[in-house]
Amino acid sequence: MEQSSTSALLQGTVLDLASDVVSALRSGDHVRAGSTLTTGGAGEGVARAAVRVLGADTLLPAVLLRVPPDPGQLAVFKDAVTAHPPRPDAAPAVVWSHWAMARALRRLDQPLAGPPAGEPGAEPGADWLDRAGWQVLTHQLAVLAPLALPGEECAVTRVARRRPVDVARGFVRAVRRRDWQQAAGAGRWLTLLDGVPETLGLEAGLDFVRLMGGSDPRVALQLEAARLMPAAVLL
Amino acid sequence: MPSKDKVLKEVTRTENIEIDAVLDPAEPDGVFRDSRECAALALQSGAGNLLLSPPTPRPKKG
Amino acid sequence: MNVRAVEEAALDWVWAHRDRFALGEDALAADGQVNRTWKPLGELTRVCASVSLCTPPSDPVRARVSDLLDFAWRQTREGELFPLMQSLEPFATYPLEVYAAFTSAGFRHPGYEASAAVVARTRGWRLTEQYPTRRLGVLEAERHSGIPPHGTVPQALDRTWLGGLPEPWTFERAAGYALTHVVFHVTDWGGRPEGVPPGLADYLLHWLPPWLDTCLEARMWDLGCELLAVAASLPRPPGPDALDEAWLRLAAAQDPSGAIPEEGVVQDAAGEHPVIDPYDFTDCYHSTLMGVFAAALTTARLRDADHAGQGVPG
Repeated sequence: MEQSSTSALLQGTVLDLASDVVSALRSGDHVRAGSTLTTGGAGEGVARAAVRVLGADTLLPAVLLRVPPDPGQLAVFKDAVTAHPPRPDAAPAVVWSHWAMARALRRLDQPLAGPPAGEPGAEPGADWLDRAGWQVLTHQLAVLAPLALPGEECAVTRVARRRPVDVARGFVRAVRRRDWQQAAGAGRWLTLLDGVPETLGLEAGLDFVRLMGGSDPRVALQLEAARLMPAAVLL
Repeated sequence: MPSKDKVLKEVTRTENIEIDAVLDPAEPDGVFRDSRECAALALQSGAGNLLLSPPTPRPKKG
Repeated sequence: MNVRAVEEAALDWVWAHRDRFALGEDALAADGQVNRTWKPLGELTRVCASVSLCTPPSDPVRARVSDLLDFAWRQTREGELFPLMQSLEPFATYPLEVYAAFTSAGFRHPGYEASAAVVARTRGWRLTEQYPTRRLGVLEAERHSGIPPHGTVPQALDRTWLGGLPEPWTFERAAGYALTHVVFHVTDWGGRPEGVPPGLADYLLHWLPPWLDTCLEARMWDLGCELLAVAASLPRPPGPDALDEAWLRLAAAQDPSGAIPEEGVVQDAAGEHPVIDPYDFTDCYHSTLMGVFAAALTTARLRDADHAGQGVPG
């Protein structure tokens, strides 16, 4: 019972946080991005955990729109990075999402004060993605959608750039399965890749995913990112 | 009333385990349902099925 | 890959159930159900004709499909039923489509071809309202039966779902069946891969994998078999990576009797109602035939690839 209530609390906070980011991306208003974290709606531990779950995308308005992040929000973000390092046996997606958060801080010139988890800038490996079939590849890339940024250069983006047709196939599969979160994440990656078959109809596809799944703020977040990406130049 | 502190303790105790599952979630089951089409309005239905093609529609059993 | 095992088992099931394809009295009756008489017989013929054409004479499969074709032709009383059907239903297209399947296996009835040509000359025949995919099939049936086709293939192709290169994520069951039949018609049921225009071949190569994957996940075995047949009908088939897993999943769905169920949900329903035979002829014949068809084409392509690899010096 307690277990399920904590995870419900966490999920709810993640959704609130995602909504904040969506509002900020739509309006360019960075302050609103911090509201869930700064109004004390959730407890500290839950807020930290929620930031860790939403990952680097918590700072997406700052990164994509070049508005300075809210100091309170930044503090929680740094706490989340420090409090939730990947365990030694963590899955690659967990390691990479943590790396992406540290990367976002470096990007904003806000590196962690203390010794961070792992070498600063030391990049995890992406062999698991290289070996993955197109289904697993797309699923994992969608989980790591915060790494889908213009100009981002890391092992994960390099794999994605090598396999545009596979990611496009994964997008088709995700839509067919009505997995809107995966479809939106894959769609965000596809806006960055060269060599995506023209026949995919990505633009209409993203509109379709918004129509079908856009009420989920985590889906809307990816679609907003996809919309802003072509124009954005990374910090 | 279950205090917030208690909930938070629980979060702290289990956060790494729980968060790992949320950070690398399994795929949800696929949901498959095909769009249907009713016969054109004001048209007698049941005329002409595809030959050498999809299996013949038949009444539901059971 | 265990494609050959799927093919042999499915063909065994077809052979064991061949009497169920026989034409009964109701094949000619005004209130007979053509979908339960002419359609299954036409499909048996269509598949056996294609398998015969892509299988070496020394292969035991070839002898078996030849016997099935002889059996099917006997059901039409050596073709005599075709002119009879025409006198009863002169503007129906299905007799010509079934007849065309027999011509692919070398069976002909010149008298029927002459009388079908008379009807095919009318504006009424040419203007028959039908799905674009079906129209393509009728054009091919005319060509096979010595009748000047009433339109061109590119024109008919442009009107189909596949011909318009739709967004692949709009794929659903109906679109799937439409597209598999477009490929069957333009390739003459897998015999002429070069009949797929290059643009369509690229398109199919890109998008067959997610369509196959999701159909098999949804346990749509029948459409899965048809998509595998399409994959084996392309000028450049998808690599084994894309297909090996699909064949494994299909093999797992095949009953020890060789029957391939049409859809998983039929099996579920049968599980809840012990009286229902989950492998009833009506539920299985189409998907099992499509399994034979897809497996035979795939086996033939693998054989060709082997020969090309070994035989061509330098």
